[in-house]
Amino acid sequence: MNIIPILQLQSNLIASIQTELTDEQALAFQSELLEKNSALNTKGIIIDVSMLDVIDSYMAKVLTDLAKMIKLQGSKAVLSGVQPAVASTLVDMGMKLNSIETFLSLDSAFLYLTKEQSGKTKK
Amino acid sequence: MFDETIPIKATKDIVIVRQKGRELAILYSFSKAEQTRFATALSELTRNVLTYAESGTCSFLVKSANRKSIIIARIVDHGPGISDIKLALQDGYSGGSGLGLGLPGAKRLVHSFDIESSPGYTQIDISISRTIR
Repeated sequence: MNIIPILQLQSNLIASIQTELTDEQALAFQSELLEKNSALNTKGIIIDVSMLDVIDSYMAKVLTDLAKMIKLQGSKAVLSGVQPAVASTLVDMGMKLNSIETFLSLDSAFLYLTKEQSGKTKK
Repeated sequence: MFDETIPIKATKDIVIVRQKGRELAILYSFSKAEQTRFATALSELTRNVLTYAESGTCSFLVKSANRKSIIIARIVDHGPGISDIKLALQDGYSGGSGLGLGLPGAKRLVHSFDIESSPGYTQIDISISRTIR
């Protein structure tokens, strides 16, 4: 069961991961986000990880896979609020989060997505 | 002596182990960066146990002497063991379906990394240390 609230704001979805997830919870979150994206026909998705103290190789894979899946659905997922300690740990471990765009804050991620969406012709 | 042993049997235990590691790192005033690196290394090694050996244990030991604090985590399993440790510690090597970052990735996050392995018994000790000013 997914325990992370997924909120809609204009044509975007916002999910803030507030607690450490088990593998099962991470996968449940992944699938609910895909379902919601499809059902609500959203354009952008922001996953805020500012409360997340640990992003290990598994969580990194869940997040990058999620971004690829959302892209296949025709939307765009971005990450916001990676903690400084988490960022340095990911780099030291040799982890790449290449397939997902990241932003310092939820605010800058939202601003980016809305700007990008208003610049595009509507589908 | 190592304190109480945390069983590693299910993926929820990954979270329990890394939270315990972080708690100790906070208790002994390690920096936020060290706490995160230690917790992440524990997460990777605990997951390895579940992937390769199905179950195992993790226990912690704290040494505080000569103005130095050391936290050691010992991860033990009774799985098939690692036949070529040197190879398993090479970047990009993966014996399973992982990302190939497990052991070498975890090693880079801690101050010491000792591994002993034979068929039926693998023991990995990792530690972080800090000089008390």
